[in-house]
Amino acid sequence: MEPLNIVGNRVIRVDGRAKVKGEALYPQDIYLEGMLYGKTLRSEKPHAYIQVEIEEGEKTPGVVKILTAKDVTGQNHHGVLFKDHEVLCSERVRRIGDPIAFVIATSEKAACEGLAKIKVRYTELPAVFDPVEAIAKDAPKIHGESNIIYHYRCRKGNVEEGFKNCHVIVEREYKTSMVDHAFLQPEAGVAYWDQEGNIVVCAATQYPHFDQLEVAEALGLPKEKVKIINPAVGGAFGGREDITLQIHLALGAYLTGKAVKAVYSREESFYAHAKRHPIIMRYKTGASKEGKLLAMEATLIGDTGAYASWAVNVMRKAGVHATGPYEIPNVKIDSYAVYTNNPFCGAMRGFGATQVPIASEQQMDILAQALGMDPVRFRLFNCFRVGSETANGQILHESVPLERCIEAVGQRLFHGLR
Amino acid sequence: MVHIRLTVNGKTYGLDVEEGVRLIDVLRDQLRLTGTKEGCGEGECGACTVIMDGRTVNSCLVMAFQADGSDITTIEGIAKGGTLHPIQRAFLEVGAVQCGFCTPGMVLSAKALLDKNPEPTREEIREGISGNLCRCTGYHKIVDAIALASSYIRGGKEDGTS
Repeated sequence: MEPLNIVGNRVIRVDGRAKVKGEALYPQDIYLEGMLYGKTLRSEKPHAYIQVEIEEGEKTPGVVKILTAKDVTGQNHHGVLFKDHEVLCSERVRRIGDPIAFVIATSEKAACEGLAKIKVRYTELPAVFDPVEAIAKDAPKIHGESNIIYHYRCRKGNVEEGFKNCHVIVEREYKTSMVDHAFLQPEAGVAYWDQEGNIVVCAATQYPHFDQLEVAEALGLPKEKVKIINPAVGGAFGGREDITLQIHLALGAYLTGKAVKAVYSREESFYAHAKRHPIIMRYKTGASKEGKLLAMEATLIGDTGAYASWAVNVMRKAGVHATGPYEIPNVKIDSYAVYTNNPFCGAMRGFGATQVPIASEQQMDILAQALGMDPVRFRLFNCFRVGSETANGQILHESVPLERCIEAVGQRLFHGLR
Repeated sequence: MVHIRLTVNGKTYGLDVEEGVRLIDVLRDQLRLTGTKEGCGEGECGACTVIMDGRTVNSCLVMAFQADGSDITTIEGIAKGGTLHPIQRAFLEVGAVQCGFCTPGMVLSAKALLDKNPEPTREEIREGISGNLCRCTGYHKIVDAIALASSYIRGGKEDGTS
């Protein structure tokens, strides 16, 4: 076989040279002749009916148009799994930061002045911020009849029997917090009509082909009339999988006939995109006198906030990874995704698999301590190897180098070897 | 309106700017030097770092009128024509560039450091870029790149230094 030119060799990334020279174009670096600027008016209440008056705003010098839900020419919705977001909120806001209006003006300053003159009358609704409270039957409902949007169940063996045979059982509750990706490039974009009569949206995104569908559906256009251009993307980490400003820009360009640009501040960026799901994790784990894991029961409650985004996939993955990389013959896992009036949660590095080790590994340490066993040896005694079966029934046929990894970490942590 | 004079990357400009305009706005919106990035607008992230009279500043925290009469270097003024600056070359070779949004600020902070201290320790390098946030790399490769750049610069002219 010929030696490979690329695989196994160090290569300079294709966009590297432009990036070190400051020549790479991120969406905020695009300036078009005669373009307009857009600013988003966002909800200040977590749950409320709204009435919006834009007349004074539209009279502001420099303001060209103010878009509200009435101006959405197609379907006023978007969302990666469920279409639970509105492009612009029509009657109700479900979280602080929900978009209500999009002000288009000849300058950013004029757009801000116009935005300040929009009047929003809020009729506040009872809100819920705790996912456990949100599960209760009488909790305020965010969408539809129930706040529980997903329940993943995993059953293996018989946990009741398993716990009966345990020498030690550890029961604990763990909570992780909401986390923002804080990618360094805040959302920005520009939309315009091209010469063939297509609407072009140039924005940093992780999902251009899906953005095309969402923009087309919201504008009421066939998808062939919508083009998404993904220029340089200044970090994403999952935070650019949902729509933020793409449809607002597209609709602005579609209705005004002009190019429209928007650049979010860091603060607005925090309001606009998804977060990592905070998860409440209730664990009960038991082991034999010799240190073999025998049973585990876990309930995971993920707060997805006001919108689902990728909640189903995230909480499924959290459930699938709930045992950690350990063989446990008797397992019962219930993982829920729940709506609240909090900021919405979606994709972020690890997609649910990042949260559960906080609980499963703490359980391992506490069990090892209760057994009087070395925590490294306890892990080695129970870890996945080739041939192991996971809680959801997958047989690990191939490479499972975990034992080597734990040994190496143990050596460096406890024996000072370098 | 205020009239200011700026030397940017060796070229002198006379500009009329509004009172509320920041140095970053002049660089990006008026001079279209968009290599200077805005990541936070409050001096936390360092993406807007430029060198002003030999010292790094966050150009989002400097008002345009405060920069009157100053000499500014942006990322666009680092390479010599088609030849990358050794810091830029080292960033590429080591793999210190990912999304690239922090890169211009990192390169300028590295330059300000190496101009004063051509042979910094890793600790000094870390301190030199402590005003610049990167969300992709975890910083190790950036520190490696600056250490490599230091050796290129000390190695002499054949590495692109002048």
